[in-house]
Amino acid sequence: MIPIFKRLFVTAIAVGLILPFVIVAGVSINSASNISFPPSELSLKWYTQLLTEPDWLLPIRNSLSIAAVAGFIAVSIALAANYVLWRLKSGFGKLVFGLGLGPFMLPPIIIAMGASVFWAEMGFYGRVEATVISHGVFFVTLPLVILARGFAALSDDVIEASRTMGATPWQTFVKVIFPLVLPYAITGYALVAIISVNEYLISYMVSGFVVETLPIRIFNNVRYGYTPVVASAAMGFALLTIGTLLVLSMFTDLLKLLGASRD
Amino acid sequence: MKGKAVPHLIGVFPLGMMSLFFLAPLAFMVMVSFYERDPLGFFNEAFVWDNYAKFFSSFYYTISLRSLWSASLGAVLVVLLAFPAMYIIVDMARRWQLFWVILLLSLMCLSEVIIGFAWLILFSENSGIPKFMGWIGVWENPRSLSPSFGAMMVGYVTLGFSLVALMFLPQLARRDRSIEEAALTLGTPPMQVFSKVILPNFKAGIVSALVTMFVYFLGVFVMPTMLGRPQDWNMTVIITDKAVGDANMPLGAALSVIMLIFTLFIIGALTYASRNKDKGALT
Repeated sequence: MIPIFKRLFVTAIAVGLILPFVIVAGVSINSASNISFPPSELSLKWYTQLLTEPDWLLPIRNSLSIAAVAGFIAVSIALAANYVLWRLKSGFGKLVFGLGLGPFMLPPIIIAMGASVFWAEMGFYGRVEATVISHGVFFVTLPLVILARGFAALSDDVIEASRTMGATPWQTFVKVIFPLVLPYAITGYALVAIISVNEYLISYMVSGFVVETLPIRIFNNVRYGYTPVVASAAMGFALLTIGTLLVLSMFTDLLKLLGASRD
Repeated sequence: MKGKAVPHLIGVFPLGMMSLFFLAPLAFMVMVSFYERDPLGFFNEAFVWDNYAKFFSSFYYTISLRSLWSASLGAVLVVLLAFPAMYIIVDMARRWQLFWVILLLSLMCLSEVIIGFAWLILFSENSGIPKFMGWIGVWENPRSLSPSFGAMMVGYVTLGFSLVALMFLPQLARRDRSIEEAALTLGTPPMQVFSKVILPNFKAGIVSALVTMFVYFLGVFVMPTMLGRPQDWNMTVIITDKAVGDANMPLGAALSVIMLIFTLFIIGALTYASRNKDKGALT
């Protein structure tokens, strides 16, 4: 009795989380030009429109390039902060690390408002560089925490060996530490890139009406009357996100990374 | 020691980036909240309390209460669903756990805009639940279920679920099972083991999840605008509306500063409470 109840509860939640996307998928392959489900006639024309019309291509390009650079900024900050904490163990290292945890503790609107005012004053309001840097700095928390696991897993023997063999700290970093924490860095990069592509509020408040990203495009479309292209864009997005995570799960142990496995 | 200089130098990079692009904007926001609005540009330097004075009107009073209410209700609902769900999931087979982790990570990364849009369609009268209910004959005259407070709450829960579930995942997966096993072998019904052994053990984790979600929901923008009615809009929507829509950055900044102080107060109270409890446990 109890196991069945448990199973039902978990299944119900899974359905609640997945069902909306099944409907969106259905809408996106329906050839009718009004949103309706179930689809009456299958067609991929909305996807063609998504990938050929400049109205959609430009936001896609904006989003992807912002994400690519923002991921790089976030990971280099996180890597430096973790290295410093690992070398110094206390004081200054902890301060640097703790500062990186800040952005995730505040509601995004506060960060977005701060960024908006800051860039306005710097004369960068409405510039793509502003969005890139803000994304890179605000999403630093994820790679920071993930890389911390990588640094925690470094065994002292390897470092000791490298030092006794006469390697300088720089050589040790390049030849020993970096390769060992690289999988964590890649995971962190991928997560920042995905979150950046999906982020709405900061992009909107920093440079929203000049640099249109994909979420901004979708949001505006939904607000002011929409066609099924939005559904195909949403699906493309969801597939890209899930695809990236599936690829990640192939070469890193996601369960372990999230602390789920009992070591 | 000579070896300590280099790490300090390297530390300047993350420290500088975070100070310049995270702390400085917050400090700037505080400054601008005392500025005057410039109808032609962004703002003029000044030192006035006008922006804060506006907060103490019945309009903002209602909005504040409404934000607090929707954020707390959302936080409670999410934790009520996510905790038992993760309690069950961590004991499932490894492949199912992996399925859940990928599902939760995808949802965590997925844009608010897309989750909101998906529910919008599911709630609409020509493609979602209302249409289905009309079709099976339960609902004679199906209407759209959104915008409404309920729809907005569903959006909140979908948005927060993944985050809270991933927070509970390591705690629940690595818990010490010896006490519950002992209780079970002594013949305690599983439901009682859950309420008498597991829940009290996870009180701290549950409280911190509640607070995290509460703070997170205070700052959501897309769900209220997409799925809620104007009378459900929270402070975040109003701040965005003032700052971007009306180009009144000083007012937006002042409202954000109030929210910031409130958030810091909550986080501080939580840290203080948990620290006091640790001390109590030691003595």
